[in-house]
Parts: sequence; C-alpha cells; structure tokens
Amino acid sequence: MTRASETTLAPAPVEVQKGWGGQSVPRKEDKRLLQGEGVFVDDVKRHGMGYLHFVRSPYAHAHITRIDVSAAEAIDGVYGTLTGEEVAALTEPFFQISSVPGANIKDYSLAVGKVRYVGEPVVAVVAETRELARDASELVEVDYEPLAAVVDARRAQDSDTPVLHDDAGGNLMWSGLYSWGDLDAAFAEADRVVKIPELHFHRFNSTPLECDGALVEYNRGVGQWTIHTNNQFPGFAAIMMGPAMQVGLDKLRFVTQDIGGGFGNKITSHPQLVVCCLLARKLNRPVQWTEWRTDFHLSMSHGNERWFHDTEVAVKDDGTLLGFRTKALDDAGAWLRYEPLGGVIWAQVTPGMYRWRHIELDFTQVATNKAPVSPNRGYSRMQHLWFTERVIDIVARELDLDPVEVRKRNYIRAEDMPYETPNGCVYDSGDYAGMLDLALELIDYTSIPGRRADAKERGKLLGVGIGSTLDSGTNNFGQSRLINPELQFSGNNEVATVKLDIFGEIVVTLGTTPQGQGHETTAAQVVADILSCSVDDVHVRAGHDSYWNSHAGFSGTYASQFAVTGLSAVKGATEMLAAEIKKLAGAVFGGVPADALELADGGVRIKDTHDAFLPFMACGAIINANNAGLPEDLDVTLNCRYVYRPPFEVPDVETKMGNLTLTYATQIHVAVVEIDPETGAYEIVDYAAVDDCGKRINPQIVEGQVMGATAQAIGAAIHEVYEYDEDGNLLTPNFYDYHVPHSLDMPPLATGATESPSPFTPLGTKGMGEGGGAGIHAICAAIQDATGAIVTDSHNPYQRVWRLVQEVQA
Amino acid sequence: MNVYGERTFAAPRATVWQVLNDPEAMAKTMPGVESFDIHDDRRWTANVKIPLGLGGLKMKVDMEKIEEREPEFARLSVKGNGVGAMMNMETSFTLSDAAEGGTAMAWSADVKIAGPVGSMGQRVLQPIVNQQVQHVLTALDAQVQEALRQ
Repeated sequence: MTRASETTLAPAPVEVQKGWGGQSVPRKEDKRLLQGEGVFVDDVKRHGMGYLHFVRSPYAHAHITRIDVSAAEAIDGVYGTLTGEEVAALTEPFFQISSVPGANIKDYSLAVGKVRYVGEPVVAVVAETRELARDASELVEVDYEPLAAVVDARRAQDSDTPVLHDDAGGNLMWSGLYSWGDLDAAFAEADRVVKIPELHFHRFNSTPLECDGALVEYNRGVGQWTIHTNNQFPGFAAIMMGPAMQVGLDKLRFVTQDIGGGFGNKITSHPQLVVCCLLARKLNRPVQWTEWRTDFHLSMSHGNERWFHDTEVAVKDDGTLLGFRTKALDDAGAWLRYEPLGGVIWAQVTPGMYRWRHIELDFTQVATNKAPVSPNRGYSRMQHLWFTERVIDIVARELDLDPVEVRKRNYIRAEDMPYETPNGCVYDSGDYAGMLDLALELIDYTSIPGRRADAKERGKLLGVGIGSTLDSGTNNFGQSRLINPELQFSGNNEVATVKLDIFGEIVVTLGTTPQGQGHETTAAQVVADILSCSVDDVHVRAGHDSYWNSHAGFSGTYASQFAVTGLSAVKGATEMLAAEIKKLAGAVFGGVPADALELADGGVRIKDTHDAFLPFMACGAIINANNAGLPEDLDVTLNCRYVYRPPFEVPDVETKMGNLTLTYATQIHVAVVEIDPETGAYEIVDYAAVDDCGKRINPQIVEGQVMGATAQAIGAAIHEVYEYDEDGNLLTPNFYDYHVPHSLDMPPLATGATESPSPFTPLGTKGMGEGGGAGIHAICAAIQDATGAIVTDSHNPYQRVWRLVQEVQA
Repeated sequence: MNVYGERTFAAPRATVWQVLNDPEAMAKTMPGVESFDIHDDRRWTANVKIPLGLGGLKMKVDMEKIEEREPEFARLSVKGNGVGAMMNMETSFTLSDAAEGGTAMAWSADVKIAGPVGSMGQRVLQPIVNQQVQHVLTALDAQVQEALRQ
C-alpha cells in the first residue's frame, strides 16, 4: 500500500515522460467542454425535426376515462400526437426483471388506462417548435377518475390500501429472505442485543446539469432508428426496447457524444425513447425531446427510499459485533424500471466494512404512487452501508464506547484481504483502519475536545462523525438470478478497439458512455504506456456509437466499472496492437523475432542494437496502403478489438452465495459539525475524505470524484428530499424547494488517498465513482455526537435537528 | 386539505337556505367568476379566474348538488379543470337556528388540488384557501342581507 495525503486543490504537476499511468494528465475532454464546443443531445439538430412534449398526469392515482387530442392536432404547426392506446397497440409491455408478483405488471411507455404517479407521461405531442408543443399539450383533454393514493410504503400492504397494479394482485413487488451464518449461535454468544425499531433512508436523487433527452431518426428504407441520446447504459436500453418494439437490436443504433452527468438516473429513459421512436416512424420526421427540469424531478427515476425495521444486533460488551437481523422495506415507486435489482445489489456489501459473520435481512419491495426509482449514484449499497454505519454508532452509544474504537475493533483488516464475506463476495484489498487514521489526522482529531469546549462557550454544540463507503464496482450480472432465477444474465463485459491508421494515428474507440469521468484521458494514458508514445498521440473517439462495433451487452457507464472493464478492454486491445506492430516490423526487418523488438519513441525498433526503427506512421502505411509483397501468412490488420470479461461464476440461487462484484474501492469521510441548539441550524466546519481505489490512473480525476461524492452527500444529508403530500403530489419538484448544494454550501474539504491495488484486475484499478454514502452517514453521526440524540433518518434538515435537540433537553 | 368553520347570519334559516341554493346568488359570492351557466337545479358551471400567480389561474368549475335535506343540509361535489391545476372538492353545510337568533351554518370542505399548483403544497395553498373562504363568507353574508331586503 502506498499512502499520500493531498490537501490542496491544485493539480499535481504533469511530467512529460514514460509512465503516464498515475499522473494527473490534463483531461483531453476539457478543451472542448470549457470552450463550449461539447456536443450534447440538445445540440443535435436535423432538418424538419419536431419537438416532443409530454402531457403528464396531475394525479397520483386515477383511471383515464377519456383522451381527446383533436384540439391539439388542429393547431397549425402541430405534427401529431401519441396516446397510451396507440402504444399498447404498437408495442409489447416492457420485459420485467422481477419474479412474480412484480413480473405480472404491464409497463408501457405511456400510461394505458390508468395513471400511477404525478408526472407520469400520458400523451406525447410533437410540433414545429418546443414552445408550440408545450402550448398544444395544454389543449389535450384528459378526463380522470381520481383514486386514493398510497404514498407511505409502510402502509402499502395494508388490506384497505389501494392497489396500483391489479395484475400483481397487490402492492408487493418482490420479497426475499437472505440469511447467512448462524444467527441463533451469534445471539446466544452475545453479551448484549441492541434493538433499533426503525431507521429510514430518504428519497432523493442526483442532479445532472443536463436533463434527459433524445433526437430520434427513423430510416424507413432499412427500418432502423438512430437514437441520439444521453442514456448512459445503451446496452440495457436496447434489451428493454427491442422486445417491446418487436425489432432486432440491429435496428436500434445508439449515438452519444457528451453527456452532462448521469449518476444512474439516465439508465432508465427507455420508455421515453420508445415514444420518440414510435413518433419518428408515425410522423416520418426526426423527433427531438429534451426533458424540462421540473419533469426530471417529477418523473425521472428517484433514488430508493428504504426503511429498516426491527433491527437486532448481537454484540459483545467490548464492542465486538457478531451479527444482525433486520427487515428492509424498499419503496419502488410506481413502476419497476430497473427494480427490483435494488433487492440484491445491496448484498454486494452485506457486512459493510466489518467482520460480523451472521447476518439475516428480509427484503421487501412495494409499489407506491410515486415516481419510479432506479439506480442513483451508490445504488442500493448506499442505503445498506448507511444502515450498517448507523448500527455501529448506535451500538457505540448504547455500550458507551468510542465509535472510532468500535470501528477499529471490527473493521476487516488489511491482512485479511482478499476477504470473503458471509455471502461469498470477495473484498479485494484495502486498509480501512489506516484510512480512518488518515482521515482523522486530516481534521486534527486530537484537537476535537478543545474545539468542543470552545463551541460550548459560544453556545454551540460540536460533533464529529465518521462514515464509510464500499464502492463495489464491476457487477456480476448473475446476481440478477437471486431476484429471478429465470433470468439469463451473468458476468459482465466491455469492449475497446485500438487501431493504427494510415498516417500512424492511434485511434481508440470505447464502448462506454462517459458523463464527465474523463474516459478519453485515462484510456489514452493506458494506451500511451503500452505503445511507449505520448498521450497526445492517442486519439480516443468521443462518445459512443453502436455502429462502431465497439460495444457489448453490458456497454455503458454505470456502477463504478470503467477503470476495470473499460480500461482492461483498452489494455487488451492495445496489447494486441503492440503484438501486431512487432509482428509486422519483424517481417519488414527480415525475420526478426517479436521478442527481439521493443516499442519506443512512437515506433518499433530492435531491442538491443537499435539498428532498425520503423515509426508507427510507416507501420500504418504499410498495412493500409502499401502492402504488396507482405508474407501471405502475416495475419496483421493493426485494427484490434478486445472484449474484457471479468472472471465471474454464476451465484448460487439457493444459498444466495457468490461473488457479486469484482472490486471494492473505499472512501472514509469525517465531518465536524457545529449546531446552534436554538434553531437547529448547523454548519460543517471541517471535513475530510480519504479514498482508496487501488491504482489511480489519473489522481486528479479521482479527487474530482471524491469532491463530487462529498457534495452529493451534503446535499442529501441536509437539503435534498422528495417530499410527497398525502395525495401523492410532489412538494419539491423544482430548485426552489429542492436545493442542490453549490460552491458556497461546500465546507473546508481535505482529501487524502491511499492505494491498495486490486489483485483481481489487469491494471490494479478499481471503479470508484460512488462514494457519497460515506458523507451522508458522517453528517448523521456528527449530529448524533453533538446532540446526544439517536439519529434515525438519513435526511436531517435544520428543523429535524432542532427537534432532536428538544428531545434531549426534554 | 380539509377546511371547516362556522358562521352566523342575521337572517331566518329559510332565507339562508334560499341563497345557498340559488346558483345566481352563489355565483356572486365566488371570487373571479367570469361566466356562469345553470344546467338544472342540481348542476351548474362557472368559469373562474382565481387570483393565484401572474395573471391568475383560469379554471372551469363544475358543481353538482349530490345530497340535500331542506332546510338544514346539503352536500356538493365541485370539480375544477384549469391549466396547471385540477381541483376536486366535496363540501357540505348544515344550517341550524342560532341560540342568539339568526341562522348558524357549520361548513366543511375537503379540497384536493392536483397538477403543478398542487405541488406548491399545503403550506402555500392553505393561506390562499383561507383567504378565499373568508371572501366567500363575507359575500354570502351580503347576499343573505340582500335577500332579506327583497
């Protein structure tokens, strides 16, 4: 393990030399992005295109009794409309991931017969301008027969609660019991059983700068749609859309250049994309859709809201954790657009950071009249890790022990790595105790007693809290079989192509859909190291195009995996190219064996004597344009495609055991808060975030992710929440009520890093984009430390903190 | 949103009942009524402009009397449709002789507002609803007094 502390925002100096990996090379993408020359989906224009606007449900739950689009269609400049009835006639319901009862629901791209949440698309209107489409949509007449709504997941299965999906026979969508180890023995051995009646992880989302969108063209001659979109997981969108539209996946071409943030919520835009496709065909013109911000808040996927009920924790008096049992209740919202995968994704991090071996979790997911949920940065693991961290601090409080000591006593140790968890996942590497020490050092932990006394003198309450994230990356999609054994998914893959073109250009094509993660830069660093050239000589194509033949079934950018899947594909393709260059040069040099050659200075030469040198330009020219006389058996194209496939097995559906993910990056955050007990208002006065994502290809990009995760955490912990009233109206549908933190909300932030290379990945890297859960918990724990009250909610705005203070004072 | 209250009118119960069941008189009590159509003695429609936001919120409101026990009780269903808001309300009133003379009216309404306006939430809408209710009651008092003069 190497260790470094970085407390400055300035980038590390770039050294122009071999060994690009590990340097903070300036991002290749930034020139175009900072100059406003990026190409986002809303920048794509086509002649004669129409703009799409959705008519959305004002009701959380209602029957649709009549739709009349005639007034809208009569307006000059309105090209046409699409209703749910048409969708039901033209498409099949989307494939459901769930087993029964969730498998029985019928989900179309527009509401058919019934609406189930405020903001659900009911009719689509296409017109000459965006404004006209919006105005015309107000002329669409929809009659509703309102029904009672269910907005509290805890009441969703009550006998008198309205049912969203009659086909499912109730609001239960999926349930499963996970049990590993010997709970009875653990509780028999325990000195104490700590009971926690209810913990609640709230509903919020990440906020991309760019909302969802698409421009869809239909080629009537070949029956193919070209879908320019910022969907971040085209592989998933394709397998949802193809069967629904009853077309082969070759008929769905996905194209993306720049994406302004994704965070997971751009995975499930496939219903809107289907609507665009149907209208592009119906109207015989390109159709453009850009989501309005309020529509994003109302309708695009929210993060999972989850309760943990009746938790019991078996502990020894010295704070040794033996095991726990709990009941998790998850609110899926109205539709299962990616769910119920959240019902298994959490299990990637079953024990959190800790060595307890006996765990039982009874998972239930229900439907409610709220926006559908889907992955949100930290998807499902964030909720579970917040729970495990909350348990640690509540146990420490109950046993009157120091939360730092309880953590260190129970952390999985560096010498235990690789560590197999009770459910068969393998944590690859890491030194959690060392990271915690570094984080505490960054906030000068030894000064806390003095600062606490100083705050008290000023009438303030000071508290310190710790939070941790295990950022499990590179999914084994076989875990979906624990949700539905019938599913035929497993493993993972990603593709890259690397070629040497006619003038020696090194051209790299990725299967991913980056949303700001700097893939062009880090891919170029990997290529440059293998080909012994400059990163400036490596041209990584911007964006994604499924015509490039560099995509696979799981292509996309999601779930903390590019540093493993994407860069391993790049590494594999580049090594193939390097071998071909040597093979070609060996032939040109008159039969020199490959092991006598080396790549250097933008070409290939004889290793020891340097007698002969063939620049890449010559290699490219020979193969592509001057190939007469080459040996017939020289199987060299200088155009190499490599598919990286992580080493996974299918998990056991009976025992629910298996390796669900390949790598485990870690973040440990420490927050220091100061609370005004009179008002509950609080300020984060000190903050440290320490990251370990194995080998860092570009440390500055990693640090940017850590800072972004911290901002996500602060927003979620203090400001961001999707609140619904009892009728299912979303009360926070815009930035007036849904405050996303800006620069002035950010506390003094110190970042640190350790490097524990993954033994399981070709580059020692780990995916690391989803560390925000650590911060949410750090703030909860700091509030608990400051007030003395047990914090049971992940969202703690000032009024809730004021109530906590009042509770303690009472 | 549930709102309710009591009001006493200095008039006999028959007069108050007559006003409450006269669509034209009731139209004069409602804020921002731009037009009014009476379909029959149980159903009528108003086009109103509620003073909310820039330019006001235009809404077509259909009212139907769904229960009555003359001269003490009536229940009405009110459905409104407008750009940005849909309203469903069930309201009822009970008349009785006031102890100090005149007529006491106990009233209640269960108001549901959907659409973007509904998303403003109760904390924003409650004061607006309260204000409008006071306007209606004051105007109703005036209509009752006018009926007495006729």
